[in-house]
Amino acid sequence: MTELAVEADGLTKYFDSFKAVDHVSLRVPAGSIYGVLGPNGAGKTTSLRMTLGIIDPDEGTSRLLGGHKPQAVRHRIGYLPEERGLYPGMKAREAIAFMGGLRGLDWSEGRRRAASFMTELGLDRVIDEKIRKMSKGMAQMVQLIGSIVHAPDLIVLDEPFSGLDPVNQERLEMLVRRERDRGATILFSTHVMAHAERLCDRLAIIARSQRRFEGTVDEARALLPMQVRYTPRDDADAAAALLPADAARRGDAWHFAIEDGDVEPLLARITASGHGVAGLSIARPALHDAFVHIVRQVDAGFDASPENDAIEEAAA
Amino acid sequence: MNAFLRNMRVVARRDFLAIVATPTFLLFLLAPLFMLAMGLAGGTGAAQLADSARGAGRIVAIADSADIEALRAADARLRAAMPREPAVLVLRVASPAADPVAIAREKGSDTYAVMSGPLAAPRIVEREPGSSPGRYLVLLAAEVQRARAAGPLPPVAPRFESLSNGGNSIAAQQTLAFGAVFTIFLLTLLLAGQTVSSLAEEKGNKVIEILAAAVPLESVFLGKLLGMLGVAILFIAFWFALATGGGFLYALQADPAAIAAAGSAAGAAKPALMAAPATGWPFFLGISLAYFVMAFLLLGAAFLGVGAQAATVREIQMLSLPITIFQVGMFSLSAAAASAPGTGLAGFAQIFPFSSPFAMAARAATDDAVGVHLLALGWQAVWVALTVYFSVRLFRAGVLSSGWKFWKRKRA
Repeated sequence: MTELAVEADGLTKYFDSFKAVDHVSLRVPAGSIYGVLGPNGAGKTTSLRMTLGIIDPDEGTSRLLGGHKPQAVRHRIGYLPEERGLYPGMKAREAIAFMGGLRGLDWSEGRRRAASFMTELGLDRVIDEKIRKMSKGMAQMVQLIGSIVHAPDLIVLDEPFSGLDPVNQERLEMLVRRERDRGATILFSTHVMAHAERLCDRLAIIARSQRRFEGTVDEARALLPMQVRYTPRDDADAAAALLPADAARRGDAWHFAIEDGDVEPLLARITASGHGVAGLSIARPALHDAFVHIVRQVDAGFDASPENDAIEEAAA
Repeated sequence: MNAFLRNMRVVARRDFLAIVATPTFLLFLLAPLFMLAMGLAGGTGAAQLADSARGAGRIVAIADSADIEALRAADARLRAAMPREPAVLVLRVASPAADPVAIAREKGSDTYAVMSGPLAAPRIVEREPGSSPGRYLVLLAAEVQRARAAGPLPPVAPRFESLSNGGNSIAAQQTLAFGAVFTIFLLTLLLAGQTVSSLAEEKGNKVIEILAAAVPLESVFLGKLLGMLGVAILFIAFWFALATGGGFLYALQADPAAIAAAGSAAGAAKPALMAAPATGWPFFLGISLAYFVMAFLLLGAAFLGVGAQAATVREIQMLSLPITIFQVGMFSLSAAAASAPGTGLAGFAQIFPFSSPFAMAARAATDDAVGVHLLALGWQAVWVALTVYFSVRLFRAGVLSSGWKFWKRKRA
């Protein structure tokens, strides 16, 4: 069994009577990139905070980096909170060195690494600029550097991509991969599926306070049947007889879902029918669709019991 | 523990630099100058007022021309022995026109009392009934009568001897004790109150979550306290250096002969230093500094904890009034204790943690026991730790919504 960098079991948190997090468990293999996905207000941030021991869970436990209590391995963790914050009067280099210093990194070494990180990320112009003079995105990159400057074994990033332009998002993805290659474990939350799809080795989907899915990206996508887009070469209407009853026609093309075992029989039917193939794609739905599917299912369950909503609203 | 201290140092360093390396700090550092200037202006004005009033005061004796010289001589003899020097004595020769009441009401000067009539049965017109100027005039009359009745007395040849090492005056020591309480109070009032708002910055710019994730909150709180203490020590050192330097410069500019004279007089002037604290000057100054540090940490920790609960600048402003009242309360308690050493009140003020540094500094002035101070410092340190501990608990419960509330039982 692979070693786990994060073992959070049954984390539960109440805010007054509202159950913000309900028995969420996270098991992150060491050296992997792990995504925590979920809609706004699902409980991602609270789960991460409890995992890191910043707030205490009402129930459940969290062990990091080989069974240690979160507080015992603080210096081996890097954390970018959802609510970004830096001292506006500090220079970028000092701010990074300060954050490294909090994690036990020598101040002068922190200053040195800050300069090399910033140069690498195209921020060399603002190394000695005060934070208050920077754009929001720049400040966010500075804070990100500050949370990894001490070369931590576990990096936790809460919504790291929000507020960044596409170029910086790309740089951040590069940085995340490089940290993983260095041997670090990365745990990050997001609600932008594209990043998760590209980066994550495994992911968990949290919706309505509970973990609703755990697995690889492919496993998540496999939750939905494959989608077929078929354009016959000749009369499109005549081809309808070959296709499942729920096939929908848009323009010349037919769209429908298909189970894994039905792919070959369908191809055989199309070939034999003589309608021809002007276009054919059989693809797994994207992570985005799987995510929306899961969240909708959960919401549908909640809508069926209106009293849950009432409780939630009262708590909010 | 080592990591804890290191974290504390990182936080303290950041805070110290953030405060000191700003132009506003200069204003803060020089703030006492305004106080001094105001005090000087007020003091000079008051002194001038007092001077002019003193020059205008007088007592008047209307006597036969035969008695005038005797009265003048008696006044010269008695005046120096009075605890408070009486107002200027004006002598007038009796005449039918001299009406004591009219003289007492003459404009241009404050006339406290007027004596007229025969010396054996003088009539005293006085401004306030039973006043000391009136009694002094009676005393003069009696002295003249006595000298006249007894004839010339043999001169008294006194030989004055002073107690060169006659122990310390209790009153002077109590004054010192009060001075220590007041100085420490003033410094903590000026400096410790600053900690109230020191967590507001982190809450405002959200740095608090980074701190909370990276290091134990206890070390954040203690680090902030130490950073502010560093600022306070810098403040004190600056003014101490300025005062010492100023004194030195003044000495250089003074007449060398005067310094030599002062030096030779120093041996003889030892009794002037009767106001030495019971524990001796070096120990007293050292322990006073230690108690200032403790007072700063104790009150600072309490204020930091209270201030940490505030969410906005307005709330912090609202909190500063009760905090100042609390400080003044501790000062009153300790000042009362300083003027009544050895009483139950003094004992209470010395034991109650938030007044203990003040009251114990006062005790160092009046009581020569030394060991008890070690005990007191330890006791106060325990309370600093306790205050920080509870501040952090409250803070975690409030700001980080950790849900820890000591008044709430844990959810089953």
